[in-house]
Amino acid sequence: MQFHQPKSLEDALRLKRELGTDAYFLAGGTDLVVLRNRGRVKGQHWIDLSRVSELDYLEERDGTLQIGATCPHARLEGTRFTALAEAAASVGGPQIRHRGTVGGNVGNASPAGDVSTALLAFDADIELRSATATRRMKLAEFFLAPGKTAIAPDEIITAIFVPTDVRSAWFKLGKREATAISVVAAACGVNAAGKVHIALASVAPKPLRVTAAEEMLAQKGLTPETARAAGDIVRETIKPITDHRASADYRLDTAGSMVTRLLTQLSLN
Amino acid sequence: MLQDRAREFSGEPSWTVDFTLNGEPKTLALDPSWTLYEVLREQLDLIGTKGACLEGECGSCTVLVDGVSMNACLIMGPQVEGKDVLTVEGLTKQGALSAVQQAFVDCGAVQCGYCTPGLVVAAEALINDLQHPTGEEIRRGLEGNICRCTGYMKIQQAVERACELRAAAK
Repeated sequence: MQFHQPKSLEDALRLKRELGTDAYFLAGGTDLVVLRNRGRVKGQHWIDLSRVSELDYLEERDGTLQIGATCPHARLEGTRFTALAEAAASVGGPQIRHRGTVGGNVGNASPAGDVSTALLAFDADIELRSATATRRMKLAEFFLAPGKTAIAPDEIITAIFVPTDVRSAWFKLGKREATAISVVAAACGVNAAGKVHIALASVAPKPLRVTAAEEMLAQKGLTPETARAAGDIVRETIKPITDHRASADYRLDTAGSMVTRLLTQLSLN
Repeated sequence: MLQDRAREFSGEPSWTVDFTLNGEPKTLALDPSWTLYEVLREQLDLIGTKGACLEGECGSCTVLVDGVSMNACLIMGPQVEGKDVLTVEGLTKQGALSAVQQAFVDCGAVQCGYCTPGLVVAAEALINDLQHPTGEEIRRGLEGNICRCTGYMKIQQAVERACELRAAAK
Protein backbone atom coordinates (compact mmCIF):
# COMPACT_ATOMS: atom_id res chain seq x y z
CA MET A 1 0.00 0.00 0.00
CA GLN A 2 1.23 3.46 -0.93
CA PHE A 3 0.58 6.19 1.61
CA HIS A 4 0.05 9.82 0.61
CA GLN A 5 -0.35 12.77 2.94
CA PRO A 6 -1.34 15.94 1.05
CA LYS A 7 -1.35 19.22 2.97
CA SER A 8 -4.12 20.90 0.98
CA LEU A 9 -7.44 19.98 -0.63
CA GLU A 10 -5.99 20.96 -4.01
CA ASP A 11 -3.15 18.44 -3.61
CA ALA A 12 -5.56 15.76 -2.38
CA LEU A 13 -7.77 16.22 -5.45
CA ARG A 14 -4.79 16.18 -7.82
CA LEU A 15 -3.67 12.88 -6.29
CA LYS A 16 -7.18 11.44 -6.58
CA ARG A 17 -7.37 12.42 -10.25
CA GLU A 18 -4.01 10.76 -10.93
CA LEU A 19 -4.65 7.59 -8.93
CA GLY A 20 -8.39 7.14 -9.64
CA THR A 21 -10.41 4.25 -8.24
CA ASP A 22 -7.34 2.57 -6.79
CA ALA A 23 -7.02 5.39 -4.26
CA TYR A 24 -9.05 5.71 -1.06
CA PHE A 25 -9.31 8.77 1.14
CA LEU A 26 -8.39 8.04 4.76
CA ALA A 27 -9.73 10.21 7.58
CA GLY A 28 -10.62 8.70 10.97
CA GLY A 29 -9.95 5.15 9.81
CA THR A 30 -12.96 3.74 11.65
CA ASP A 31 -14.03 1.87 8.50
CA LEU A 32 -10.98 1.75 6.23
CA VAL A 33 -8.44 0.67 8.87
CA VAL A 34 -10.89 -1.88 10.31
CA LEU A 35 -10.96 -3.59 6.90
CA ARG A 36 -7.18 -3.36 6.68
CA ASN A 37 -6.83 -4.98 10.12
CA ARG A 38 -9.04 -7.83 8.89
CA GLY A 39 -6.64 -8.31 5.99
CA ARG A 40 -8.95 -6.76 3.38
CA VAL A 41 -7.05 -3.68 2.28
CA LYS A 42 -9.06 -1.41 0.02
CA GLY A 43 -7.04 0.18 -2.77
CA GLN A 44 -3.36 0.40 -3.59
CA HIS A 45 -3.14 4.03 -2.52
CA TRP A 46 -4.35 5.76 0.62
CA ILE A 47 -4.68 9.52 0.61
CA ASP A 48 -4.62 10.63 4.22
CA LEU A 49 -6.68 13.75 4.95
CA SER A 50 -5.42 14.34 8.47
CA ARG A 51 -3.34 17.33 7.34
CA VAL A 52 -5.98 18.85 5.04
CA SER A 53 -7.22 21.34 7.61
CA GLU A 54 -9.69 22.97 5.16
CA LEU A 55 -12.06 20.02 5.61
CA ASP A 56 -12.04 20.00 9.41
CA TYR A 57 -14.62 22.55 10.53
CA LEU A 58 -18.15 23.04 11.82
CA GLU A 59 -19.76 26.45 11.41
CA GLU A 60 -23.12 28.13 11.11
CA ARG A 61 -23.44 30.64 8.30
CA ASP A 62 -26.44 32.22 6.55
CA GLY A 63 -29.07 29.89 7.98
CA THR A 64 -27.01 26.79 7.23
CA LEU A 65 -24.89 24.56 9.40
CA GLN A 66 -21.83 23.65 7.37
CA ILE A 67 -20.09 20.46 8.38
CA GLY A 68 -16.63 19.93 6.92
CA ALA A 69 -16.07 16.37 5.67
CA THR A 70 -13.50 15.52 8.34
CA CYS A 71 -15.45 17.02 11.25
CA PRO A 72 -15.49 14.25 13.89
CA HIS A 73 -18.78 12.99 15.34
CA ALA A 74 -17.79 14.19 18.80
CA ARG A 75 -18.06 17.82 17.67
CA LEU A 76 -21.76 17.39 16.83
CA GLU A 77 -22.60 16.05 20.28
CA GLY A 78 -24.34 18.64 22.42
CA THR A 79 -25.20 20.96 19.51
CA ARG A 80 -28.77 22.30 19.23
CA PHE A 81 -29.46 20.12 16.15
CA THR A 82 -31.20 17.47 18.22
CA ALA A 83 -31.36 14.47 15.88
CA LEU A 84 -27.85 15.11 14.63
CA ALA A 85 -26.41 15.62 18.11
CA GLU A 86 -28.08 12.48 19.48
CA ALA A 87 -27.20 10.38 16.43
CA ALA A 88 -23.56 11.47 16.73
CA ALA A 89 -23.59 10.67 20.45
CA SER A 90 -24.90 7.17 19.69
CA VAL A 91 -22.00 6.23 17.39
CA GLY A 92 -19.55 3.74 18.94
CA GLY A 93 -17.72 4.76 22.09
CA PRO A 94 -15.92 8.06 22.78
CA GLN A 95 -12.76 6.86 21.03
CA ILE A 96 -14.71 6.22 17.83
CA ARG A 97 -16.61 9.51 18.08
CA HIS A 98 -13.32 11.40 18.45
CA ARG A 99 -12.00 9.75 15.34
CA GLY A 100 -14.87 8.91 12.96
CA THR A 101 -15.89 11.74 10.63
CA VAL A 102 -19.18 12.93 9.15
CA GLY A 103 -17.79 12.69 5.61
CA GLY A 104 -16.66 9.14 6.30
CA ASN A 105 -20.04 8.14 7.70
CA VAL A 106 -21.83 9.51 4.66
CA GLY A 107 -19.27 8.25 2.14
CA ASN A 108 -19.32 4.76 3.58
CA ALA A 109 -23.08 4.65 2.86
CA SER A 110 -23.89 2.06 5.50
CA PRO A 111 -27.62 1.22 5.71
CA ALA A 112 -27.15 1.59 9.49
CA GLY A 113 -25.34 4.93 9.37
CA ASP A 114 -26.63 6.90 12.36
CA VAL A 115 -25.38 10.33 11.37
CA SER A 116 -26.29 9.75 7.71
CA THR A 117 -29.87 8.95 8.72
CA ALA A 118 -30.14 11.98 11.00
CA LEU A 119 -28.88 14.22 8.19
CA LEU A 120 -31.72 12.96 5.95
CA ALA A 121 -34.26 14.26 8.47
CA PHE A 122 -32.82 17.74 7.89
CA ASP A 123 -33.01 17.26 4.09
CA ALA A 124 -29.29 18.03 4.04
CA ASP A 125 -27.20 18.66 0.91
CA ILE A 126 -23.79 17.23 0.17
CA GLU A 127 -20.99 19.02 -1.66
CA LEU A 128 -18.62 17.06 -3.90
CA ARG A 129 -15.50 18.47 -5.47
CA SER A 130 -13.08 17.28 -8.14
CA ALA A 131 -9.91 18.97 -9.38
CA THR A 132 -12.04 20.78 -11.96
CA ALA A 133 -15.57 21.18 -10.58
CA THR A 134 -17.78 21.50 -7.51
CA ARG A 135 -21.32 20.16 -7.36
CA ARG A 136 -24.02 19.95 -4.74
CA MET A 137 -26.84 17.45 -4.43
CA LYS A 138 -29.48 16.19 -2.03
CA LEU A 139 -27.99 13.71 0.41
CA ALA A 140 -31.04 11.47 -0.16
CA GLU A 141 -29.97 11.14 -3.80
CA PHE A 142 -26.35 10.51 -2.89
CA PHE A 143 -26.99 7.14 -1.26
CA LEU A 144 -27.50 4.39 -3.86
CA ALA A 145 -26.89 1.00 -2.20
CA PRO A 146 -24.81 -0.48 0.64
CA GLY A 147 -21.39 1.17 0.27
CA LYS A 148 -22.44 2.74 -3.06
CA THR A 149 -22.92 6.46 -3.60
CA ALA A 150 -23.20 8.92 -6.47
CA ILE A 151 -19.60 10.08 -6.03
CA ALA A 152 -17.35 10.05 -9.13
CA PRO A 153 -13.87 8.45 -9.05
CA ASP A 154 -12.12 11.84 -9.08
CA GLU A 155 -14.32 13.46 -6.42
CA ILE A 156 -14.10 14.03 -2.69
CA ILE A 157 -16.84 14.88 -0.19
CA THR A 158 -16.04 18.42 0.99
CA ALA A 159 -19.03 19.38 3.15
CA ILE A 160 -22.58 18.71 4.29
CA PHE A 161 -25.08 21.58 4.41
CA VAL A 162 -27.80 21.40 7.05
CA PRO A 163 -30.70 23.90 7.20
CA THR A 164 -30.89 25.49 10.65
CA ASP A 165 -34.69 25.96 10.70
CA VAL A 166 -35.44 22.28 11.33
CA ARG A 167 -36.76 20.95 14.65
CA SER A 168 -35.80 17.31 14.91
CA ALA A 169 -36.00 14.16 17.01
CA TRP A 170 -34.05 10.90 17.06
CA PHE A 171 -34.55 7.40 18.37
CA LYS A 172 -32.10 4.51 18.08
CA LEU A 173 -32.86 0.97 19.08
CA GLY A 174 -29.81 -1.26 19.49
CA LYS A 175 -29.17 -4.59 21.14
CA ARG A 176 -27.65 -2.72 24.09
CA GLU A 177 -27.10 0.88 25.17
CA ALA A 178 -23.44 1.35 24.28
CA THR A 179 -21.42 0.84 21.07
CA ALA A 180 -24.24 -0.87 19.23
CA ILE A 181 -25.20 -0.91 15.57
CA SER A 182 -28.89 -0.05 15.29
CA VAL A 183 -31.61 -2.65 14.95
CA VAL A 184 -33.68 0.29 13.72
CA ALA A 185 -33.06 4.00 14.08
CA ALA A 186 -35.40 6.84 13.14
CA ALA A 187 -34.96 10.56 12.64
CA CYS A 188 -37.71 13.07 11.96
CA GLY A 189 -37.46 16.77 11.18
CA VAL A 190 -39.92 19.63 10.63
CA ASN A 191 -38.72 22.83 8.98
CA ALA A 192 -40.03 26.36 9.55
CA ALA A 193 -42.51 25.96 6.69
CA GLY A 194 -43.93 22.83 8.34
CA LYS A 195 -42.43 20.38 5.86
CA VAL A 196 -41.68 17.03 7.48
CA HIS A 197 -38.83 14.65 6.66
CA ILE A 198 -38.72 11.08 7.91
CA ALA A 199 -35.61 8.91 7.77
CA LEU A 200 -34.86 5.36 8.90
CA ALA A 201 -31.69 3.33 9.38
CA SER A 202 -31.32 -0.46 9.12
CA VAL A 203 -34.60 -1.14 7.33
CA ALA A 204 -33.40 -0.90 3.70
CA PRO A 205 -30.17 -1.22 1.67
CA LYS A 206 -29.46 2.45 2.38
CA PRO A 207 -30.52 5.14 4.85
CA LEU A 208 -34.13 5.57 3.78
CA ARG A 209 -36.50 8.52 3.41
CA VAL A 210 -40.16 7.54 3.75
CA THR A 211 -41.57 9.91 1.14
CA ALA A 212 -45.09 8.38 1.09
CA ALA A 213 -45.57 9.37 4.74
CA GLU A 214 -43.95 12.77 4.13
CA GLU A 215 -46.42 13.47 1.30
CA MET A 216 -49.42 12.54 3.42
CA LEU A 217 -48.17 14.94 6.13
CA ALA A 218 -47.62 17.69 3.56
CA GLN A 219 -51.33 17.43 2.68
CA LYS A 220 -52.83 16.96 6.12
CA GLY A 221 -50.35 18.73 8.40
CA LEU A 222 -48.60 17.30 11.45
CA THR A 223 -50.88 16.44 14.37
CA PRO A 224 -50.87 13.53 16.86
CA GLU A 225 -53.46 11.85 14.60
CA THR A 226 -51.47 12.18 11.39
CA ALA A 227 -48.35 11.10 13.32
CA ARG A 228 -50.11 7.80 13.96
CA ALA A 229 -51.14 7.53 10.30
CA ALA A 230 -47.54 8.22 9.26
CA GLY A 231 -46.41 5.28 11.37
CA ASP A 232 -48.95 3.08 9.59
CA ILE A 233 -47.64 4.23 6.21
CA VAL A 234 -44.10 3.36 7.36
CA ARG A 235 -45.27 -0.17 8.19
CA GLU A 236 -46.91 -0.48 4.75
CA THR A 237 -43.98 0.96 2.82
CA ILE A 238 -40.70 -0.36 4.15
CA LYS A 239 -39.37 -3.85 3.40
CA PRO A 240 -36.75 -4.65 6.03
CA ILE A 241 -34.88 -7.95 6.09
CA THR A 242 -34.36 -10.54 8.81
CA ASP A 243 -30.76 -10.80 9.97
CA HIS A 244 -28.78 -11.70 13.10
CA ARG A 245 -29.91 -8.51 14.85
CA ALA A 246 -33.67 -8.73 14.36
CA SER A 247 -36.49 -10.18 12.30
CA ALA A 248 -38.13 -8.29 9.48
CA ASP A 249 -41.48 -8.25 11.33
CA TYR A 250 -39.93 -6.78 14.44
CA ARG A 251 -38.17 -4.06 12.44
CA LEU A 252 -41.35 -3.23 10.53
CA ASP A 253 -43.46 -2.79 13.62
CA THR A 254 -40.78 -1.00 15.62
CA ALA A 255 -39.98 1.44 12.81
CA GLY A 256 -43.65 2.42 12.56
CA SER A 257 -43.93 2.97 16.31
CA MET A 258 -40.72 4.97 16.43
CA VAL A 259 -41.84 7.30 13.66
CA THR A 260 -45.22 7.81 15.35
CA ARG A 261 -43.50 8.56 18.64
CA LEU A 262 -41.04 11.07 17.16
CA LEU A 263 -43.67 12.84 15.06
CA THR A 264 -46.03 13.02 18.04
CA GLN A 265 -43.27 14.69 20.05
CA LEU A 266 -42.63 17.17 17.25
CA SER A 267 -46.35 17.87 16.76
CA LEU A 268 -46.79 18.77 20.43
CA ASN A 269 -43.75 21.06 20.78
CA MET B 1 -1.59 -13.50 15.03
CA LEU B 2 -1.27 -9.79 15.69
CA GLN B 3 2.47 -10.01 15.03
CA ASP B 4 1.73 -11.88 11.82
CA ARG B 5 -0.56 -9.09 10.69
CA ALA B 6 2.18 -6.51 11.31
CA ARG B 7 4.66 -8.61 9.35
CA GLU B 8 2.21 -9.00 6.51
CA PHE B 9 2.24 -5.23 6.08
CA SER B 10 5.89 -4.89 6.98
CA GLY B 11 8.05 -3.05 4.50
CA GLU B 12 10.66 -0.36 4.51
CA PRO B 13 10.55 2.29 7.25
CA SER B 14 10.08 4.72 4.41
CA TRP B 15 8.14 7.40 6.29
CA THR B 16 9.46 9.84 8.88
CA VAL B 17 7.17 11.16 11.58
CA ASP B 18 7.87 13.94 14.07
CA PHE B 19 5.68 13.70 17.13
CA THR B 20 5.72 13.73 20.92
CA LEU B 21 5.53 10.39 22.67
CA ASN B 22 4.91 10.30 26.41
CA GLY B 23 6.30 13.81 26.76
CA GLU B 24 9.44 13.25 24.66
CA PRO B 25 9.85 14.77 21.18
CA LYS B 26 10.57 11.98 18.75
CA THR B 27 11.59 11.59 15.12
CA LEU B 28 10.73 8.10 13.96
CA ALA B 29 11.18 6.25 10.68
CA LEU B 30 8.27 3.87 10.22
CA ASP B 31 6.45 1.78 7.68
CA PRO B 32 3.44 3.95 6.66
CA SER B 33 1.27 0.86 6.27
CA TRP B 34 1.57 0.13 9.98
CA THR B 35 -0.98 1.31 12.51
CA LEU B 36 0.04 3.28 15.58
CA TYR B 37 -0.83 0.17 17.60
CA GLU B 38 1.70 -1.88 15.62
CA VAL B 39 4.34 0.86 15.77
CA LEU B 40 3.97 1.12 19.55
CA ARG B 41 4.14 -2.60 20.23
CA GLU B 42 6.27 -4.08 17.45
CA GLN B 43 8.67 -1.23 16.82
CA LEU B 44 8.93 0.70 20.10
CA ASP B 45 8.33 -2.20 22.50
CA LEU B 46 5.65 -0.21 24.34
CA ILE B 47 3.57 -3.28 25.04
CA GLY B 48 1.34 -1.66 27.67
CA THR B 49 -1.05 -0.81 24.85
CA LYS B 50 -3.08 -3.96 24.23
CA GLY B 51 -5.09 -5.08 21.23
CA ALA B 52 -8.05 -7.42 21.03
CA CYS B 53 -10.70 -6.61 18.45
CA LEU B 54 -8.66 -4.33 16.16
CA GLU B 55 -11.89 -2.69 15.04
CA GLY B 56 -12.46 0.04 17.60
CA GLU B 57 -14.96 -1.82 19.78
CA CYS B 58 -12.98 -3.02 22.78
CA GLY B 59 -10.86 0.01 23.70
CA SER B 60 -7.90 -2.02 24.94
CA CYS B 61 -5.58 -0.07 22.60
CA THR B 62 -6.76 3.34 23.87
CA VAL B 63 -4.15 6.10 23.76
CA LEU B 64 -4.49 9.86 24.07
CA VAL B 65 -3.75 11.97 21.00
CA ASP B 66 -3.54 15.65 21.93
CA GLY B 67 -5.32 14.68 25.16
CA VAL B 68 -8.24 12.97 23.39
CA SER B 69 -8.92 9.23 23.71
CA MET B 70 -8.58 7.23 20.48
CA ASN B 71 -8.08 3.63 19.36
CA ALA B 72 -4.43 3.16 18.37
CA CYS B 73 -5.48 0.22 16.18
CA LEU B 74 -7.37 2.57 13.84
CA ILE B 75 -4.70 5.28 13.49
CA MET B 76 -2.09 4.87 10.77
CA GLY B 77 1.45 5.70 11.87
CA PRO B 78 1.88 8.78 9.64
CA GLN B 79 -1.32 10.28 11.09
CA VAL B 80 0.40 11.19 14.38
CA GLU B 81 2.60 13.75 12.63
CA GLY B 82 2.87 16.78 14.92
CA LYS B 83 0.64 15.17 17.56
CA ASP B 84 1.16 14.56 21.26
CA VAL B 85 0.68 10.84 21.94
CA LEU B 86 0.33 9.46 25.45
CA THR B 87 0.30 5.73 26.19
CA VAL B 88 -0.22 3.98 29.52
CA GLU B 89 3.57 3.96 29.99
CA GLY B 90 3.51 7.77 30.01
CA LEU B 91 1.17 7.94 32.99
CA THR B 92 3.78 6.75 35.49
CA LYS B 93 6.12 9.57 36.49
CA GLN B 94 9.48 8.52 38.04
CA GLY B 95 8.02 5.19 39.04
CA ALA B 96 5.03 6.76 40.81
CA LEU B 97 1.59 5.58 39.73
CA SER B 98 -0.90 8.19 38.53
CA ALA B 99 -4.03 8.81 40.61
CA VAL B 100 -6.05 6.65 38.20
CA GLN B 101 -3.54 3.80 38.33
CA GLN B 102 -3.37 3.92 42.14
CA ALA B 103 -7.15 3.99 42.39
CA PHE B 104 -7.46 0.91 40.15
CA VAL B 105 -5.10 -0.91 42.54
CA ASP B 106 -6.88 0.38 45.65
CA CYS B 107 -10.35 -0.59 44.44
CA GLY B 108 -9.52 -3.99 42.96
CA ALA B 109 -10.62 -2.78 39.55
CA VAL B 110 -8.20 -5.18 37.88
CA GLN B 111 -8.90 -8.86 37.40
CA CYS B 112 -7.25 -10.47 34.36
CA GLY B 113 -5.80 -7.04 33.56
CA TYR B 114 -5.97 -7.17 29.78
CA CYS B 115 -8.40 -4.26 29.44
CA THR B 116 -6.75 -2.28 32.24
CA PRO B 117 -4.24 -0.15 30.29
CA GLY B 118 -6.96 1.00 27.89
CA LEU B 119 -9.38 1.69 30.71
CA VAL B 120 -6.78 3.57 32.73
CA VAL B 121 -5.93 5.79 29.76
CA ALA B 122 -9.62 6.38 28.94
CA ALA B 123 -10.33 7.18 32.61
CA GLU B 124 -7.41 9.62 32.64
CA ALA B 125 -8.96 11.55 29.71
CA LEU B 126 -12.39 11.37 31.36
CA ILE B 127 -11.31 12.97 34.64
CA ASN B 128 -9.16 15.52 32.84
CA ASP B 129 -12.34 16.72 31.11
CA LEU B 130 -14.75 16.32 34.04
CA GLN B 131 -13.10 16.75 37.43
CA HIS B 132 -16.03 15.18 39.29
CA PRO B 133 -18.01 13.01 36.88
CA THR B 134 -21.30 11.46 38.01
CA GLY B 135 -21.76 7.69 37.89
CA GLU B 136 -23.64 8.08 34.62
CA GLU B 137 -20.87 10.24 33.16
CA ILE B 138 -18.27 7.66 34.16
CA ARG B 139 -20.24 4.81 32.58
CA ARG B 140 -20.80 6.83 29.43
CA GLY B 141 -17.19 8.04 29.34
CA LEU B 142 -15.92 4.47 29.50
CA GLU B 143 -18.48 2.92 27.14
CA GLY B 144 -15.77 2.47 24.52
CA ASN B 145 -13.83 0.08 26.77
CA ILE B 146 -14.93 -3.50 27.30
CA CYS B 147 -14.04 -5.50 30.43
CA ARG B 148 -15.16 -9.12 30.59
CA CYS B 149 -14.17 -9.78 34.24
CA THR B 150 -15.11 -7.07 36.68
CA GLY B 151 -18.71 -6.22 35.87
CA TYR B 152 -17.53 -2.58 35.79
CA MET B 153 -18.66 -1.59 39.30
CA LYS B 154 -15.15 -1.61 40.73
CA ILE B 155 -13.92 0.30 37.70
CA GLN B 156 -16.52 3.00 38.31
CA GLN B 157 -15.52 3.08 41.97
CA ALA B 158 -11.86 3.40 40.95
CA VAL B 159 -12.61 6.43 38.79
CA GLU B 160 -14.48 8.04 41.70
CA ARG B 161 -11.54 7.22 43.96
CA ALA B 162 -9.09 8.72 41.42
CA CYS B 163 -11.00 11.99 41.56
CA GLU B 164 -10.66 11.98 45.35
CA LEU B 165 -6.93 11.22 45.14
CA ARG B 166 -6.43 14.06 42.70
CA ALA B 167 -8.41 16.49 44.85
CA ALA B 168 -6.45 15.45 47.94
CA ALA B 169 -3.14 15.97 46.16
CA LYS B 170 -3.99 19.58 45.32
